[in-house]
Parts: sequence; C-alpha cells; structure tokens
Amino acid sequence: MRSARRTGRLRTLAVAVSAAGATALFPVQATAASAGAPAEAAVATEVSVSPVDLDGPAISTVKVTVKNAGPQQLRSLKVAFAGPTGWAVQPSVLSVDGSLPAGASADASFRIQVPEKRPGFVIRTFTATATYKGGDGRGTATGTRTERSGSPQANLAAAYNNVGVTDESDTGPGDYDGEGNSFSAQKLAAVGLTRGAKVEALGAELTWPDVAAGTKDNVAASGQAVELAGKGSALVFLGSGVTSGATGTASVHYTDGSSSTGTFGFPNWSFDPADAHGATLVKSTDGRNRPDGYGNATVKYRVFAHSIPLDPDRTVDFVVLPANANIHIFDMATAP
Amino acid sequence: MPEIPAVSRRSMLGGTLATGAVVAGLGSAAGAAAATSAAPSAAGAEASAPGRRPGQKSMINVPFEEYRTVRVGVIGLGNRGSGMTTGWSVIPGCVVTAVCDIRADRAERTADGLVADGMPRPAEYGGSADAYAKMLRRDDIDLVYIATPWEFHYEQGKAALLSGKHVVVELPIATEVSELWDLVDTSERTRKNLMLSENCSYGRNELAMLKMAHEGLFGDVTNGHGGYLHDLRELLFSDTYYTDAWRRRWHTRSTASFYAMHGLAPIAAAMDINRGDRMTTLKATATAPKGLADYRERFIPKSHPSWRETYINGDLVSCAIETARGRTIRAEHDVSSPRPYSRINSLAGSRGIFEDYAGTSTTGGRIYVEPDHGGHSWRDFDAYRKEFDHWLWKKLGDEAENGGHGGMDYILQWRTVQLMRAGLVPDIDVYDSASWCAPVPLSVMSLEKEGRPVAVPDFTRGSWVNLRSGLDSRSTDMPPVS
Repeated sequence: MRSARRTGRLRTLAVAVSAAGATALFPVQATAASAGAPAEAAVATEVSVSPVDLDGPAISTVKVTVKNAGPQQLRSLKVAFAGPTGWAVQPSVLSVDGSLPAGASADASFRIQVPEKRPGFVIRTFTATATYKGGDGRGTATGTRTERSGSPQANLAAAYNNVGVTDESDTGPGDYDGEGNSFSAQKLAAVGLTRGAKVEALGAELTWPDVAAGTKDNVAASGQAVELAGKGSALVFLGSGVTSGATGTASVHYTDGSSSTGTFGFPNWSFDPADAHGATLVKSTDGRNRPDGYGNATVKYRVFAHSIPLDPDRTVDFVVLPANANIHIFDMATAP
Repeated sequence: MPEIPAVSRRSMLGGTLATGAVVAGLGSAAGAAAATSAAPSAAGAEASAPGRRPGQKSMINVPFEEYRTVRVGVIGLGNRGSGMTTGWSVIPGCVVTAVCDIRADRAERTADGLVADGMPRPAEYGGSADAYAKMLRRDDIDLVYIATPWEFHYEQGKAALLSGKHVVVELPIATEVSELWDLVDTSERTRKNLMLSENCSYGRNELAMLKMAHEGLFGDVTNGHGGYLHDLRELLFSDTYYTDAWRRRWHTRSTASFYAMHGLAPIAAAMDINRGDRMTTLKATATAPKGLADYRERFIPKSHPSWRETYINGDLVSCAIETARGRTIRAEHDVSSPRPYSRINSLAGSRGIFEDYAGTSTTGGRIYVEPDHGGHSWRDFDAYRKEFDHWLWKKLGDEAENGGHGGMDYILQWRTVQLMRAGLVPDIDVYDSASWCAPVPLSVMSLEKEGRPVAVPDFTRGSWVNLRSGLDSRSTDMPPVS
C-alpha cells in the first residue's frame, strides 16, 4: 500500500491498491491501518489510477494500470472504471486481451467527462476494479485515486447554512426542518443553551453557537469540509435530525495525510426515541417556533450528542461532514 | 408567399421513411451494448444507417474554418427572420450581406432598417419562390440563416449547404426522416456545418441545468421532461402574424409533435445525447384536437377563412423517448390550449431533481438535491443558477438582456459568430439538429401505429458512444474586430 503523496495544488491522498477484501473499498483507511505492511499486500494484484486532469469542462483521459503481483499468469482481465457519481465514462468496462505473466502490467485507458471546477473544497474519488482469473487467485482487486481541490472551511461557523434558533418575537427567519420551524431562543435559554454556552457531552466540551437568534447558526450537513485541530479518542457532534434517516458517515483527515471514517446519526428533533441511532440526549425544550409564532408547547424539541472514533495517535486536520442534510450540527469537538 | 397546397398527412410527415427509421433503430441495441463492452463497436448502427458515399465523412468535431468576418445571408423576413437579421447585424465581426423574402417589399424594408441602424445595405432578393437560390450564388455569404415556414426549411437548408455555405435553420430543420438523413449526408459531403437555431439550448436555466448534470448534482441522470407549451391560439388565428396562416395550416395536415425541440434539446444536451448516449425509441400519444376549434367558435367571425379548415392535430402531443443508457425523456407539444407558457425543463436522477417554470424564485426554477437538501421541500434555484451560470451568460448577460427571448437569441447569435470567427467546433451540429427534430416525423409514425414505439435513427452512425464536448464549453473570447 502506498502512502499519501502530494502533487502540486491537487493533493493526491492515496493511490491505494488492495486485493479483494474488507478493506478494498476503503483504501484511505487501509493506508493508515496497514502501515505495518502485511506480507499479503506484496503479492496482491495492484490496481492504480493515473492522475486525472480536473480542469474542466473537458473530456479527460485516465490510465488504469493493473500489475500482476501474484505467482500465476493473470488472464481474462476486465477493468471497470468509475468517477464521481453522475460523471460519464467511456467505456465503463474494458477487456484486456491475452494474459499477464507474474510481475507484468497492463494499461487500460478510459475517457471521463470532467465538469468545470467547483469553488470551495471538493474531493473527487475515482475507482478502478479489476476482475481476473489466476494471478494472486483472488479474482478481483480495486484501486482508487482521491483528489481534492480548494480548502476546507476555517471552522464550523464558517459553514453555517441554516437558521435553527429564532426569537419568539420574530420566528420568520427560522427554517430548521425545511418547513419554517425552529428552536425557541427563550426556551433554549431556559435549559442553559444561551449564546456561547459551554456544553459537556460524551467527554467533549462543546460550544453553543455564539450568534444572534434568527441568523445562521448550524450546518445542515452536505459533505462540507471543516478544519478542526486537535487529538482525541472521539469526535463529538452536537445537533439533531429533521425528517427521518438523519444518519451518515463523516471522514476525519489527519495532518499526516491519513484518514478514518465513522458513522453516526441523530434522532429527529421531536419524534424519534431519544436514543435512536445511539445518540445521547443533551437538552430538551418545550415547543418550537413556527412561521406564525411560538407553538406546539407540549412537544419536546431536543438537542443530542453523538460521536465517532478517532485515531488517538494522529492529529486531526479537517473533518468532512456526512452528506445528509437531515443532520443538523451546532458544534463538534474532540474528546480525550 | 404562395398558398400551401393541401397535402396528405402521410406524404408530408413520416410516410415512406418509416421503414428507414425502424431499421436504423435496430442498431441501437448493438450500439448500447457496444458502449459498455471492452471495445465499443459501432458496427450495428453503421449497418442499419444509410451508407456513406465514397469520400463522405463524419462532421463530428469538425471545426469551422476561421472567418475574419462572418457574412450572413438571411432567407425569410417575417416576424422571426426580420428580428434575427437585426440580431446578426449587431454581433461583433458579423455583417448581413444579403436578405431574401418571397415578398420583395420585406427585403427592401429590412435593408432599409439595417441602413437606418448604421449598417451596410445588404443585397436584396425576392419576388419569386426561387429568389433564395439566386442569393445563394453570391460569394460574399459565409452563413445562411433560414427563418421561412417549416415546409421550406429542408429544401433551402440543403441548397445552402450545396452552395458552400454554413447554415443555421430555424426549427425544425426538416419534417421527414429522409430529409433529416439527407441534410446529414449533405453536410458530410459539403463539409459545411448545419445547425438548428435552437435558442433555448442557450437559455440561462437550461445551461445551468446542463452544468449541474455534468457536475453530478442529480446523481446518475435517469429522466428528463421538456416541451413547448405555448398558447398560440390568438397568433395562429391572426391574419398578419404568420404569413398566410402557415402555422395554423399545419394543424389541418398532421397529428404530430411539431415543435417540441425547445424543451427536448436542453434535456438531450444534459443527457449527452450523441455524446455518450442516444435516443433509441419514441412512442407518442395525442389528445383530441379541441383547442383551435373551440377558440374559433368563441372568438373568430364566421366569415374568416379558418372556418373552412378542420383541425386534426392533437392539442397535447406527448413523446416518450428511451435512450440507449436506459433513460427516459418526455417531450410535449401544445400550442392550442389555454395555459401559461412553459418549456418544462425538468431533469432528475438518483440524487435529485430540477424543475423550471415552478416555484417562486427569481430564476423561475426550483430544486431538490441530496445531500444539500432534505425535508421533502423544494428549494429556490437561485443559488445554484448563480454557481453554475454558464460563461456565456456571465460574459454576455448584460448585452443579451435587450435581445429577443430573454437574451437567448443574442447568446445564440454571438456564440455562432464566435465559433466561426475563432474556428471552433460548433456546439450544436447536424447530428444534434437531426436528432432533436426527428420526433416530428417519428411522432406521426408512432401515432399511426396507435402509439407503439418506433426506432429513432442514429444519425451519428455509431459515433454517439464517444464522449465529446458540446454546449458545456470552456470560456473563450470573441476574436477582436480590426
């Protein structure tokens, strides 16, 4: 497994190669986990993806190289290639004629439609999967290239994109749930959640957003990358869900170029069991602010905490939030 | 303009070309299969398409020659043609050198107008049905723009190609499958580009939708919906708007999706039709023809010549189109029902959907895409239109504002002239033009078969499998005018 390397402004996080196995689809994780170099990796079929020219809109060519690192002839090789979801690839599968002796490599070229570069921080993942007979005997191997451009947001506040708290005298700006409803600032204050208040949860010290009611104060998660310095055993999120299915996977990128992932979820802010998705209740408030004013006074509207594990030996560089806007996050912090 | 003779619906649309179209479609499955195989083969599609003559080659990715100045000749100076003539004349590096209309007074009036605007006086042609042929003999025309009634587009477009000029033709470029093939072949033989004057392909929302599709915001695009839903009843019965009521008369001849291209073309672009996918089959439905007769009954005096007409075209003609990549397109046409205007412009995939002409945002569109959105509620399109605004609109939006159709006409004309002056590959080529217009005759054929699917010809002869750029282009400048 190759470690991370840098190529100009576009950082190549990993050109990972893995024979079929549990880690094959998570090469970035595998990079960190397998630094000790199991002997098995040395004999696995290697699949690598060339750098991708992301200066679109354009049709770029990508070369996939498959190296037979196994002891037998590798034959009936087919290579599938895919870019980010929705990107057209031509062709999606290529067959390689003949067979590869041990130690030999074969190249397959694909064309991919690259869109105009988006502003902000973007991670693009390209995956090549080889299926074959012979070789290392595993039958399939996968390689990925993850390229990123832009910079993460400086902090979570910079990524705020939603108004979750409003004053009872002015509920109009609120839209926590997509239907114009929001937490009541007065009711939150009644349980200690005032601007900038410290919140202890799951071993972490979090901070309630220090912004005025009626302004953007939380992040509806959609894969934003946010800088976060520190070390710890866990990354704790403070927030709650809207509608249903407020779960997703966050990835943590460390300063040494490695990364890890973790999945978490929040209950709906009002109707799910408080421990849904394994979350922990932090605060409950009475009622909510609706477009027409404060209401639903007999219903509890809640804030939860949940966490994902961190590699305690590495320093966090930035976090990529889950791609699920039903997850609303007020803060995140590391826990020792 | 002469009276349009009564023509049977079979001979005017579809007819003898049905066989060719169905045969062409047989190659689609092979083409689709080839696209996902190790070595894409166009053999199936090649075999089913009419063969190329010796020396005849594809026009895919063939750039224009570089023109220092683009000299335009215009055929057809009615409402559309006269307005577009002014449009051509104000594009940097473009000059209108000749104008033609069967009514000579229109040519003179248009020439007078250009002179009044400070432009050179163009040569005038008119007075006979073949006046345009005389104009095409000139050697100071690089681009012919055709805005005559639909029934003349094929003949005039082909003649323009054969005269060695590039051509921009208003919708549709032709109304029969054989004519579409002939224009493709003529373009390939003459090495001149023919482009459908599809201004809506340059619509601001449409181009943003295209760029968002390429970004993957909708995930894997699975379906799209477009059309031309425009209450034209008043104009169709006007005695002055459409010369000799040519457009209304089409409703007496055929049951067809006459003019769905304004909505179909942007969807086709977003699906990379002819650039990685292609339309394979089409099946049509038509509602009863009620709208025009009802309008006439209520608003048109009994002495009006329209009372001698019988309208047979369905008010709403819908085409369900399938593509080689398993996508579906709905293309609709309705110009005879009371309703607000819409081209629909809806695109959807595994991660979200865009709908135009809906919602309350200033752009007129609404959107819902994961992971940005949740809660089952629509969001305004504005922020996305801003982020994915096409460079043409960023560059020309202010200039285009005063142009026709919300600026789309100006963008189309500016871009066409720029492509020619810079020697670039056209955004819209003869294959796109033929494919987008194919539903005109194919809808007739399907309706004659009680809505059964008919094959869509592969005008690219198998080259649709290849990814290539189109309307989602890179920003470039207009060459300076010396």
